[in-house]
Amino acid sequence: MSGVIDLLFWAFGASAVVTGWLVFRTDSMVRAAYWLMASFVAVGGILVLLDAQFLGLILILMMAGEMTIMAIFMVMFMMNPAGLNPMTMVHQHRASIISGAGAFIVLALVALFANFLAEPVPTGAEPTVDLGVELLGGSMLVFETAGVALLAVMIGAVALVSQQGRFGDAEAGSLEPSLETEGP
Amino acid sequence: MNALASVVFVALVLLVATYLVAVIDATIMIRVSRGRGYTGVWMDPIARAARLMMQRGSRTERPDLQVWFLAPALLAGLGAVALASIPVAAAVHVADNGAGIVLFGAAMLQVMVAVFLHGWAANSVFPMLGAFRMAAAGMSMSIPFSLALITTALPAESLSVGAIIVSQEGLWNVVRQPLGLPVYLITALAFSFWGPMQLPDAADLAGGTTAEISGVALLVWRVARIGVLVALSAMGAAAFLGGYLGPVLPGWLWMMVKTAGLATVMVWSGHHFARMRIESVVFLGWTLLLPIALVDVFLSGALTL
Amino acid sequence: MTLEAVLLVSAALFGIGVYGALSQQSFVMIMMGLELMLNGAIVAAVGFWWGTTGGNPEGQLLAIVVMAVMAIEGAIGFALVTNVYRVRKADITEKLRKLRG
Repeated sequence: MSGVIDLLFWAFGASAVVTGWLVFRTDSMVRAAYWLMASFVAVGGILVLLDAQFLGLILILMMAGEMTIMAIFMVMFMMNPAGLNPMTMVHQHRASIISGAGAFIVLALVALFANFLAEPVPTGAEPTVDLGVELLGGSMLVFETAGVALLAVMIGAVALVSQQGRFGDAEAGSLEPSLETEGP
Repeated sequence: MNALASVVFVALVLLVATYLVAVIDATIMIRVSRGRGYTGVWMDPIARAARLMMQRGSRTERPDLQVWFLAPALLAGLGAVALASIPVAAAVHVADNGAGIVLFGAAMLQVMVAVFLHGWAANSVFPMLGAFRMAAAGMSMSIPFSLALITTALPAESLSVGAIIVSQEGLWNVVRQPLGLPVYLITALAFSFWGPMQLPDAADLAGGTTAEISGVALLVWRVARIGVLVALSAMGAAAFLGGYLGPVLPGWLWMMVKTAGLATVMVWSGHHFARMRIESVVFLGWTLLLPIALVDVFLSGALTL
Repeated sequence: MTLEAVLLVSAALFGIGVYGALSQQSFVMIMMGLELMLNGAIVAAVGFWWGTTGGNPEGQLLAIVVMAVMAIEGAIGFALVTNVYRVRKADITEKLRKLRG
């Protein structure tokens, strides 16, 4: 049984990394959004294998909405959403490859050579029940702060993109000041 | 159940249930369907499927071919995963763990992704519009959908669907939480894009995401869509109508009867109500259903405590 | 499936996220790099919860807080991207040149 779990873990882990890599290799922008979705689904699978079933499934649930929004934004803002003409839009490419590889190497060295405690989750524990009790018990303040932060972000995001301000159309103020002293 | 048996079981249940829902649909449409070559209610779905299978498949210019074939398969897979999380009898389930209802919610929200991909694949205007409509409708209806289902977990004190069914032994959730089932049914209509919420494949978009699709691909898409409807009805029956609990008949028969009842209600609403505009659907989701779902959560929490 | 394996996967996701966030010119692709980094962080947090805390639920709470942060960053990020486009008509970072030295 643990052999199957190991195999599944490596399958999910490999797909998470490979689809994460494909996000930045593919030409089609909508496919990039959905490769990221696939990476999140693989990570959700890893979380379920790690006994955190609620977290894994909630991740997949959240990412359905978020990746659809990202796909719509891709179609809105990218010049080439279907990737019909291949193009590379990268800057400081070598520096970013070195940074990415460096980050991976440093974290991998920490992972392999640090001494971690070994206190696994006891078999027969119910992590969902424990999480529920903790959320509404000892860590209620964390939960409420996160809720208020999300509310603030919702109001802030709507305020940022709303077309109508208090003093009229918000786009009226977005003209740059001209070089003449009078005029718009 | 071992893995292969589970997959075969779920696939068989889904196919048979899809056929039965198509029969219900044909029965309700019976005054419209009669024409040349009408073969009776039981053969009508099979006749329509055979005609679709004999059609030629179509192609557009520069489509996204992998996505074109992925989207119907994804929709069918999501319906199967959702159905797998629902117990059909006491302790007979495929995939109901400690967070079974979250698995169902995750699978059903991914339907939005599948429909968007289906509309994106054809590289054409009307399918893209259908995909955008489904994204808007899906985002608006996700939260009331999830809230209505999570509320049924409150009396059960567990997120497992089996525990939710068992908690209804005294009183069905449709009586304890009267606001839950209407909200759930309306959002279920949106997620299986049926009837008044038939936005992505709408007739005013020349078939929407199915505008450029014909033949076997169209048949698979339609069968998968009815499969999603079956999964949503089964969860409605399990979470609100008491699942397999019932006096005389065996558990699975009660489950079938209740699922068929909810499926009939949804299919009937498809023929009875006109399709809503997308602005109305978004307005409905955010300003009407979301507050009602929140009131449902508060009332149910107060009653449970 | 040991703790080291989970952390290796998390490190790989984080590294790819760093590459993406630094190398992409388009705002939405940069945000995808950020999401991948947060992905790696969630895997690492749940991995540590699974392997070293013995079931203390505050580990899962950390993962939920990171998920809330992902949602917050996505919302504000998209709002800012939309606003920058409306004001400066810029959809890639190369077009924002006013503070360039």
